[in-house]
Amino acid sequence: MTPAINFQGVTKVYRRRLAGQEVPALTQVSFEVGAGEVCAFLGPNGAGKTTSINLLMGFLYPDWGDIRVLGFAPGDVRAKQQIGFVPENFAFYKHLNAEKLLQFHLILAGLGRSAAPGLVRDLISKVRLTGYEKLKIGKYSRGMVQRLAIAQALLSDPQLLLLDEPTSGLDPSGRIEVKTLIHDLKSAGKTIFLSSHILSDVEQICDRAIIINRGRLVRSGSLQELLVAGDQIEIVADQLPVEFEPLLAEWAATFQRLPSEVRITVSAVHKRELVEKLWAAGCDILSLKTVRGSLEDLYMQLVGNGNSA
Amino acid sequence: MKIWAIALNTLGTFFRNRLLIVFAVIFVCTVLLFLTPLLSVKALARAGQAQQAQTMVLSLVSMIISFVSGTGSLLAAWCAADSVSSELKSGTILAVMARPVKRWEFLLGKYLGVMLLMSGYVVMMYGLSWLLAWIGGAQLHSTTWVLFAYPLVRYAIWAAIALVLVTLIHPIATMGVVLILAVVALLVEPSGKVMHNHLQYLKVPLWILLPSTSLLSEERFLTITHAALKQASWTEHLTTLAYGLDYALVVLLLAVWSFHYRSLTRD
Repeated sequence: MTPAINFQGVTKVYRRRLAGQEVPALTQVSFEVGAGEVCAFLGPNGAGKTTSINLLMGFLYPDWGDIRVLGFAPGDVRAKQQIGFVPENFAFYKHLNAEKLLQFHLILAGLGRSAAPGLVRDLISKVRLTGYEKLKIGKYSRGMVQRLAIAQALLSDPQLLLLDEPTSGLDPSGRIEVKTLIHDLKSAGKTIFLSSHILSDVEQICDRAIIINRGRLVRSGSLQELLVAGDQIEIVADQLPVEFEPLLAEWAATFQRLPSEVRITVSAVHKRELVEKLWAAGCDILSLKTVRGSLEDLYMQLVGNGNSA
Repeated sequence: MKIWAIALNTLGTFFRNRLLIVFAVIFVCTVLLFLTPLLSVKALARAGQAQQAQTMVLSLVSMIISFVSGTGSLLAAWCAADSVSSELKSGTILAVMARPVKRWEFLLGKYLGVMLLMSGYVVMMYGLSWLLAWIGGAQLHSTTWVLFAYPLVRYAIWAAIALVLVTLIHPIATMGVVLILAVVALLVEPSGKVMHNHLQYLKVPLWILLPSTSLLSEERFLTITHAALKQASWTEHLTTLAYGLDYALVVLLLAVWSFHYRSLTRD
């Protein structure tokens, strides 16, 4: 199956000819996003996320490497027919209103005004702009503009959605709505490539994550794989005899006594031995699982404040 | 359909462009200022110096028409440059180019938008010419289509030149270069003067390379007197307009080529 997005060894350097400066934005970045996946694209500011998205859309050309979007070269109209795009800091024609703008985009999408008479109205309602459709976009708040950006991205029922910070400028309820919308799109089998700084949202809605820093890929994989925190195992037992405490300290294990159970986090190396000792001591093992870290922990570990390579 | 939608949207943005509104106000004020001496001269005619007044009226009317026509070239260049640069600067181009729109379609839409505006300008210019002639007590002798076609072709050339330049440089620099080109194009027009050889060698290629705006001037065929119409054959019109359209097309293709390879973001 053709991947929705294929980045192979992509390098992009910004050149300031007059100043004679060269700023590498991406260096040999390779990744794939499969069809139907919801993939997060993470990295600190200046990591190269927006550059990558601009390359995917054909707004920029790479200096090196190959990019395919839905099997086509970036910028190919056959690919763009199937893409919905929400850029960072969306800019609209301020003299238009939401209705006129969406109608303009309908024509650009090759659908024409008569293609779906109710489509514009439905989209406006979907992003909660009903009642504001006749208001000039120049008078919209940041959140309203962002909603409109999402509406125009959904206009042509795209197979692939490229969302660059879709929740920026939205209030908490707006963020929840966007998350719900992404869930719905995921259920409908759409591929979503999402750049965001809100890691808790990403953790909830994405299947995969690609992390870049300083223009280089630092990690990619399914969230399940990425969030397995090394070799740590959590054992939940009904009790923990006091004589076990020196042994746990020796293994650098941690434990937490709760009213009805004890949670022990230990290296996988000692898992079997500890379980056997607990059984032998008459303890009951309630559960045993691999410790899952948070995306935020992983992100901070890989990227830190954005200065680590 | 897409190209037409972009063109109409471009035209819509022009009507809300503050700089263009300021330009229109200054333009109207300048034309009104020109009217003052015209009316004074008419008063002179009534005082008995009819022959002298008639000559002055005709030269004034001719001057105003030249001014309006010349300003149109600059307006066409500015609008073309601004139509693309403002989209790049504001980022509105990203939403448009995210749609299944080819880069040449976008640029052609912008160009058509400029030409729509300039068509309106030409209509206004035509009306103004008649009005001035009427105020001055003179008559315009020309074929109507000539007064529309020639300035439009000239504006098409300058708009295309500005489009090429703005895909490469800043819009202000674009206007600077357009101004220089316009002046140089006028200077290198063939004249009776004998020049030094080295200047002649420079002048001829420049004359060939730059658009011949005087050749495409509608004033060649416009007589603001009671005299007969300046005659021109169909073949002359055809070759002149074909030259102008060909020039505009070549420059527009250059603009499309240049635009195809440029970044669409504010990097």
